[in-house]
Amino acid sequence: MTVSRRGFLNAAALGTAGTFAADMTRFDVLRQSSWADEVKQQGKRVILLWLAGGASQLETFDPKPGRPTGGPYRAIPTSATGVHISELLPKMAARIQQTTAIVRSLNTKNADHGGGATIMETGRIKDPGIEYPDLGAICAKELGRLDSAVPDYVSMYTSTEGRRKGTSGFLGSRYAPMFLSESMQPENIRRLESISDIDHQDRLVLRDLLAKKFTQNRYSDSLGSQTQAYQRVRGLMASEKLFDIEQEPAETRAKYGPTQFGQQCLIARRLVEAGVPFVKVARAWWDSHGENFETHRELCADLDHSMSVLLDDLKDRGLLENTLVLTFGEFGRTPSINASLGRDHFAAAWSATLSGCGIRGGACFGKTDEDGQKVADGEVGAGDLFATILTALGIDPNKEYHVGARPVPLSDFGAKPIKDVLV
Amino acid sequence: MPSDPTKLQKTKDIGIPSIAMCVARVPNSGRLIFGSSDFKLHEIDVFAEKPQPMPFGGEGHQSYVTGVVLTAPNIAVSGSYDGQLIWWDVENREPTRKVKAHELWIRRLVISPDGKTIASVADDMQCKLWNADTGEMLRQFSDHKPITPHDFPSMLHAVTFSADGKFLATGDKVGHVAIWETTSGSKVGMVEAPGLYTWDSKQRRHSIGGIRALAFSPDSKLIAVGGIGQIGNIDHLDAPARIEIFDWQKGERKHELNNDKFKALVEDLAFDPSGQWLLSSGGAGDGFVTFTNVETGKPIHQDKLPMHVHQLALNESHDMLFAVGHHKIVVSEFKVSEPASTTAEPEKGGGK
Repeated sequence: MTVSRRGFLNAAALGTAGTFAADMTRFDVLRQSSWADEVKQQGKRVILLWLAGGASQLETFDPKPGRPTGGPYRAIPTSATGVHISELLPKMAARIQQTTAIVRSLNTKNADHGGGATIMETGRIKDPGIEYPDLGAICAKELGRLDSAVPDYVSMYTSTEGRRKGTSGFLGSRYAPMFLSESMQPENIRRLESISDIDHQDRLVLRDLLAKKFTQNRYSDSLGSQTQAYQRVRGLMASEKLFDIEQEPAETRAKYGPTQFGQQCLIARRLVEAGVPFVKVARAWWDSHGENFETHRELCADLDHSMSVLLDDLKDRGLLENTLVLTFGEFGRTPSINASLGRDHFAAAWSATLSGCGIRGGACFGKTDEDGQKVADGEVGAGDLFATILTALGIDPNKEYHVGARPVPLSDFGAKPIKDVLV
Repeated sequence: MPSDPTKLQKTKDIGIPSIAMCVARVPNSGRLIFGSSDFKLHEIDVFAEKPQPMPFGGEGHQSYVTGVVLTAPNIAVSGSYDGQLIWWDVENREPTRKVKAHELWIRRLVISPDGKTIASVADDMQCKLWNADTGEMLRQFSDHKPITPHDFPSMLHAVTFSADGKFLATGDKVGHVAIWETTSGSKVGMVEAPGLYTWDSKQRRHSIGGIRALAFSPDSKLIAVGGIGQIGNIDHLDAPARIEIFDWQKGERKHELNNDKFKALVEDLAFDPSGQWLLSSGGAGDGFVTFTNVETGKPIHQDKLPMHVHQLALNESHDMLFAVGHHKIVVSEFKVSEPASTTAEPEKGGGK
């Protein structure tokens, strides 16, 4: 394998500077001569900041100040002319024009945690006859490289409430997430001390031999996917350092701050920088049936800081133009305020954001009515949002997978990208 | 004539279109000035045949009005999440002075017993004293950390004066109470009530609760602290209403009271003038009122109210309470004698 001069110099320079500290990153760059160019010029990445439990659109990206439903917080102007967001997000307000589009007209019709999450994970309602892959698995398949040594899909969900592992559905285990639930370091990826490195390699060779015999004259996407998953074990085992933020300069760690969400955003940046196509960081738990305003004062502070630093860091490293940063959860929250000063589940008119790769910063699509009860203009569903995400990444949302003889488009049937937010 | 909490009886139930966050009562009357979620002050005469809220006019607040006091029968001062204090002429319901008082949300106002000093607390974690006549800031205190131990913004909800005006207490989200000598600004005591703050590190990774109400006993020796107990599921206000009573000068906790009848947040507290009972009120989905024997810590009487109560006002003889809250105002009496036969029938609430 040849190493391009540019790729080598990039890797060497970045490694020397200590800003590209993960060993796996350098390993990966050197294996793939044009890898560095791909990351910055073609390789698309996604970071999904999953607002688990359902963040309030009124306290984030679609404020209704002064209305009976508006709550106590003011709307503040953003860097995009005419676009206001909640005063709880002052740092993001300064970055909207440069980085972020807002979609204010989602109607996803399901305000149940499980049902809503399924819709927003897969971009379509559940079909009992088929298990659809989620966005992470689709991106892993479409953006990952077959021989990649880094994980294709990493999902961090350390809180327990509403925890969902994600699914690769009919795409098979090759595209299943590396799921971090107990700590910010992947568990069980180290070689057991009782097994020598040579033994470990021998076992892989033996497993591969047996698998080939088993799959001979059998055709199955799932079997192929399983085999590919095993073939990537050695690389995944070596990716441990990507999750170690101690590898980052103290100044960088300080910027992201002390919260777990902030630290996971830093890990997400390290992962996409190393070539991981899809990283999900779940920030739980926004389900504020009581004390909605106090809850959002806490959680929005965390979101505002972590998201802003992440966008800045990606931009400073030249990664933002190829990294799409998303925020949404399973639904939004009711405009009406209940007796506990809470807001309940609401899927009829809520918001998502898209930042970076392929996105027209400052765009604000769709409108809700004056009290935020209904979509007044530009109603879109989860399928449309997924079509927009895929288009932003340069993936044809109408491309079809085949499950047996059944064609399945990447985004739901009839879904259309929201052109207003795309460059 | 002494009051009798066991005689508590609701006499008026008035629906209002907004959420009443705070209240002040014009002395010797049924006229209430309440601050509201519609960013306005309103006046309502609850003894009128058909009580109707009358909004104050002019350029008022730009967010929820969370504190109101009367500095004279005709002068009200309000505080809001917009950080402003506004002085109002009550008769013509127009503003007369505005002061940018705090950088962040004002949570509560109280007035000193002599009516000369207003104290405000806000999420900038400052307590500020104001000359009630001139609007001049007299002093500011802070003993409250802006960030919780879990790296999130803290909040300063509660403030109260002692009955003689000598002391002032402030209480924050994580359960820290500081007690100040009003004239010197010196901190003279502190107590900790961490049981009112719930941090969920595992399931939901955020917090809820905090000190929401404070009251000194009439002799200033005790301080009562109110909020909500430890919550399992912090999506909801799903824990017993909780009060702790301290002998703050000795640094001793006298009572730790978890209400076994109401799961709710304590929003307001008041001692009776004799110091025998402590009134607490608040709510979750509905509201409640509890009278507690200060000596034994046992409830004397408790009852449900039809709405989450945000603040109370008592009459001069401490036998009638005016509760304001979620789309309702409720008047209740607890006199020794039977309620007068002319007492108005409860009205059905018109709120949402």
